[in-house]
Amino acid sequence: MSDRIFSIIWLGVCALIIFQMWNLYIPFTYEPVGAKAFPLLLAGLMALCCFVLIINPAHNIHWPKPPLLGKGAILIGVLLGYSSMFEILGFPLSTTVMILIVSRIFGGRWVNGLIAGLVAGVFGYLFFDRLLGVSLPLGLMQYG
Amino acid sequence: MDSFSHLGQGFLIALQPVNLLLATFGCFTGTTLGMLPGLGPINGVAIFLPLAFAMQLPPESALILLASVYMGCEYGGRISAILLNVPGDAGAVMSTVDGYPMAKKGKAGIALSISAVSSFVGTIIATIGVVLFAPLLAKWALNFGPAEYFALMVFAIATMGSMLGGKPAKALLGCLIGCSLAMVGIDSGTGVYRLTFGSVYLSDGIPFIVVVIGFFAVSEILVLLERTHAGNEMVKISGRLLFNIKEFSSSFLTMIRSGLMGFGIGILPGIGATVASAMAYMSEKRLHDKDGTFGQGDVRGIAAPEAANNASAVGSFIPMLTLGVPGSATTAVMMGALTLYNITPGPLLFENQPDIVWGLIASLFIANVLLVFMNIPLIVIFTRLLSIPNWVMVPMIAAISFIGVYGVHSGTFDLVLMVVLGVFGYILRKLDFPTAPIILGFVLADLMEQNLRRALSISNGDTDILFASPISITLWIMAGMFLLGPIIWQLCVRILKKKTPA
Repeated sequence: MSDRIFSIIWLGVCALIIFQMWNLYIPFTYEPVGAKAFPLLLAGLMALCCFVLIINPAHNIHWPKPPLLGKGAILIGVLLGYSSMFEILGFPLSTTVMILIVSRIFGGRWVNGLIAGLVAGVFGYLFFDRLLGVSLPLGLMQYG
Repeated sequence: MDSFSHLGQGFLIALQPVNLLLATFGCFTGTTLGMLPGLGPINGVAIFLPLAFAMQLPPESALILLASVYMGCEYGGRISAILLNVPGDAGAVMSTVDGYPMAKKGKAGIALSISAVSSFVGTIIATIGVVLFAPLLAKWALNFGPAEYFALMVFAIATMGSMLGGKPAKALLGCLIGCSLAMVGIDSGTGVYRLTFGSVYLSDGIPFIVVVIGFFAVSEILVLLERTHAGNEMVKISGRLLFNIKEFSSSFLTMIRSGLMGFGIGILPGIGATVASAMAYMSEKRLHDKDGTFGQGDVRGIAAPEAANNASAVGSFIPMLTLGVPGSATTAVMMGALTLYNITPGPLLFENQPDIVWGLIASLFIANVLLVFMNIPLIVIFTRLLSIPNWVMVPMIAAISFIGVYGVHSGTFDLVLMVVLGVFGYILRKLDFPTAPIILGFVLADLMEQNLRRALSISNGDTDILFASPISITLWIMAGMFLLGPIIWQLCVRILKKKTPA
């Protein structure tokens, strides 16, 4: 069933690709094969694969059960939050918060998660930014 | 002879203090990552790639780091296979069969040391193979034109599709999805924006690092969430730590045979360490299992898969370095690393960038020696690391992945895109899509399109050029066999089955 749902959604994506490429305006081109052909070929082949999967889907697909699914959703939320807050809050602060929550999701204790987060946030910043020259944002802490 | 003087040059590069330090670090972290169930070479290389790039390491140093992480992972996979009965990475599946029973009998030390030596022998055989064969293959591949390249890449994708279990449609679709992700952004031929959907952020395309980290770090974190409750009791190491001469001599020929076999399998694109170790184990079992000791803790049963899986890992460097077509998912990521440095892997690499190629090959020798020392006397340290709880490891992986991606691209958009791709990758993995073809497709799509367009420009649009030379015809036929062979085989089996009961 999952295979069929995915294939139908992906057929939509193929249609979108074909639509976009078809309407693409190319001012000039010097070669016989333009910019449209290859993506159109890909979309066509993908659509073919989708039809195969709709006719002949696999039945061994297991999704996680509800409590785990909830945890997964929280985890994705935390990671999205971490990505959008990375520059605003700065690396040390956002990392501490992210590690605290993620370690809770994976069964760690509050105290341990907080310690791990603080250590990674502060030492991670010093190690990567100051020692190895990988630039990391300070965010809010810049003004503090 | 030429190769050996180049190799000497390579050793000079690999023995520079910085590179030696990177190799040691890579071997250690590689072994640790390989040992932890759920994390394998592809995750290790993916996590370190952006860091190496952000630290502005020169290309040869970055490759040395990534290669030693890769090899370290291949060494590390066996540790948890032997002590926990859980393979640390996919290539170590067969090592559980005899490794765990040995550990149960109180021979954990022997199993670990003999498997480390097998890994060493397998790697050495394969590295010598690379020195001997890679330059020859590169020279031959100089004759390849755009049409041959296009056929070669189709062949690589076809082998991937057929060899990865009985789901060719999914492997192919995965590969095409990877290709489509690579289509986003500006087209180099005409300068038009393709599939950007009006977004400025996407005009340069989806960065390679974002795809790799999304698919192999973020989605791995989500997969790890489901494994938190799998707790196997770790076997304590007791008794002798080192094998004796009898155990070594009984398995020495096994190591050599399996190493050669693994190397041969590793060269073929698409067939990886898992297949190599399984085939080596089966053939040794057929040769030697007269008393039924295989599966009960036979030394040869652990020597065979370990030698083969390490040899095949090294062998998979050959197609990447000489043809510019990666042989495995991990080498696909390494090839992406090279393209980040504006270096195009392929036959010209040996002529234009000998320092990079031979530095890498020399570092394979050095990393191998480092690894065997780390893995025999220092094994106790690694077994302590095996008990790192997930609540420390997982958030650390997340933080390091973000550091790497931010270090290269310095933008919030790329971080969000990475998480979104991670979720997409997770869904694909839950739907049982193999991940290797996706990444291979992403890496090859651009090259495929360019070569196709170049070939057809040469012939002014005549598609006959794709099938003009004997090399490309052979490749097309082989690709067809790999792609359609299993389907025809299945049909034959089905027809035969229908006939027999009647």
